[in-house]
Amino acid sequence: MAEDIVDVLIIGAGASGAAVAWSLAETRMRIVCLEQGDWMNPADYPSTKRNWETARAGEYSISPNVRRRPADYPINEDDSPISVANFNAVGGSTILYAAHFPRFHPSDFRVRSLDGVADDWPIDYASLDPFYAQNDRNIGVAGLAGDPAYPPHEPPLPHVPLGLMGETMARGFNALGWHWWPSDSAIVTRPYEGREQCANLGPCGSGCATGAKSSADITYWPMAQRMGVELKTHCRVREITVDERGMATGVIYYDENDVECRQRAEVVIVACNGVGTPRLLLNSTSSGFPDGLANRSGLVGKNLMFHPWGHVQGVFDEPLESHYGPGGCCMLSQEFYETDPNRDFLRGYNMQITRGGGPIGTAMAGITSGDIPWGAGHHEAFAKFFDRTVNMGLCCEDLPEEHNTVTLDPSLTDSNGIPAPKITYRVSENSRRMLQHGLERGTEVMKAAGAWQVRTVPLVRMAGWHLLGTARMGFDPERSVVNEWGRSHDVRNLFIVDGSIFVTSGGVNPTTTIQALALYIADSMKQRLANLFD
Amino acid sequence: MTDPDDIIGTDSPVSAVQRATLDAVLNIIVPASEDGRLPSAVEVGVLDHIRDAAAGDAVAGAPAHDLIDTLREELDRLDDQARTQFGGAFAELAADDQETLVDNIRSNDPRFMSGLAMVTVTCYYQHDRVLEALGMEARAPYPQGYEVLSGDLSLLDPVIQRGKRYRDT
Repeated sequence: MAEDIVDVLIIGAGASGAAVAWSLAETRMRIVCLEQGDWMNPADYPSTKRNWETARAGEYSISPNVRRRPADYPINEDDSPISVANFNAVGGSTILYAAHFPRFHPSDFRVRSLDGVADDWPIDYASLDPFYAQNDRNIGVAGLAGDPAYPPHEPPLPHVPLGLMGETMARGFNALGWHWWPSDSAIVTRPYEGREQCANLGPCGSGCATGAKSSADITYWPMAQRMGVELKTHCRVREITVDERGMATGVIYYDENDVECRQRAEVVIVACNGVGTPRLLLNSTSSGFPDGLANRSGLVGKNLMFHPWGHVQGVFDEPLESHYGPGGCCMLSQEFYETDPNRDFLRGYNMQITRGGGPIGTAMAGITSGDIPWGAGHHEAFAKFFDRTVNMGLCCEDLPEEHNTVTLDPSLTDSNGIPAPKITYRVSENSRRMLQHGLERGTEVMKAAGAWQVRTVPLVRMAGWHLLGTARMGFDPERSVVNEWGRSHDVRNLFIVDGSIFVTSGGVNPTTTIQALALYIADSMKQRLANLFD
Repeated sequence: MTDPDDIIGTDSPVSAVQRATLDAVLNIIVPASEDGRLPSAVEVGVLDHIRDAAAGDAVAGAPAHDLIDTLREELDRLDDQARTQFGGAFAELAADDQETLVDNIRSNDPRFMSGLAMVTVTCYYQHDRVLEALGMEARAPYPQGYEVLSGDLSLLDPVIQRGKRYRDT
């Protein structure tokens, strides 16, 4: 029987894998995607249940170490103050993401030139701009044109509602003369491409039952499949194979029955996120690549970047209906985003205003903190907090440092015996100073908005949503893993399209940039099909 | 002869004495509001909630009896302390004495009481009567969702007036 060799094999059906699959589908090449998880059923999401607040724990936790679904693999985080957040399914981490969708700034691509640290990207904002816009149209992104913190761009849908909470915070920012703007959000606020508009269910971070949150399973995948892309679920890739020429030949994977299988391919595209991708490459050793596939630079798994995340919560006298609306999307401030030499840190952060907690969350937090007592006074205290809290996330740019790594754990494995990733990470002094600044400014604006109590958390552990930098882009093969259009320097038919190729992290949620990059790389591939391996 | 109060009913995971002790503690954690709008935690089925949670743990592979056994043991311990310190069953003590005992336990070994408080408010704040008293609809968020004010965009005028604030490259 002739061996089955597909034209393109994509590993991972998340944000970037889905985008690249859609883009390449028009070439009519035979494209197969292998995904270790399964399709999600929106009818199962917590927001469909009466006990939605508690249903979010357990199998909808952001941490795979808590969730332990069959598709999850364990992660050793003993040496990291930040825990990895991911989700393994068709749609990947977009199933649980908040859909907060701000772009990078032009300066984010020129950190070395402008600020003397880290490196410059081999591409710039202008190169990605059309792909940001294309992605916005493809998946449905809401926002408001005219933000002075960005070059002009026009989201296709109206912004998510600010609510009383947003208006209150807006007055606080205005009192201080600080920037704020309604957030770009991957949420459809009007009926869009056959999808219902957002109904403000609230718990977006545990899956959107309405289908308004623009996760990859309901945006790119239906389109890609209609165009002939074949998506196989319950297929966990163990390693990428190479031949004597150093070209990728395909993968070895475990199917839904844990049977070891092989899939040959002319081109392999890795889309497994900033932890999954280095894990796969490091596990793909051979005589030609004893230190892991595509790792002659030694940089695979290095320069891991999260966004160190601080938290500020304000409590207000008046009811704000703050627990209604898209949980993670309302407005943001980029007042302290660009480097200011008068500060004691480089680069900056964004202040992301998020909604308040539900009744159970409010009560549990209040009892834990002592704000809401037992017995007499319980109801009065509860009434002071419920519906009156506003949360703020401080998303701090993380500078690339080679000692922050993803490696293979020497003993921990997944259910197929594949070595688990081990995270080794420490928060830099620059990040600590930035976090401190953010906590102080966050407190300042909460009070300016009228908060009577402000509480802060200097570093949130369960906030490792953004997994970046571990297979970075660059012109120099000795200082990067892939080139300026995502092709491995070492393996000419191997491409990487997820957040691991980021050179710097920016100070914003990365998914819009991840998807724009994936589209850019796919477009670059299509332009070079005749000499793709040259 | 077995004290009838010690007999565990066929459909209750705790005895009558243990139930009375539990109800007294629940009433300490969340009493009824003074205006009667909000019920005591005694009235929202916390024991059923714990029993369901235990059954869920059993399904997940953890032993169900641990949760219920712990509950029984801790309630018995509390009742024993009441008899020793105040000469009577916990459920029959004056409210002040009950609170004194509970506060002592919370200070010296808070694990059980903290866990019970979390379970109690989890059950309490999803109960229909409580949600309706708070002005909420007792339903899942989906499919109706909620109305949220779009927002007064004239609040952006000062931001726009300050102009561009990103660096060129």
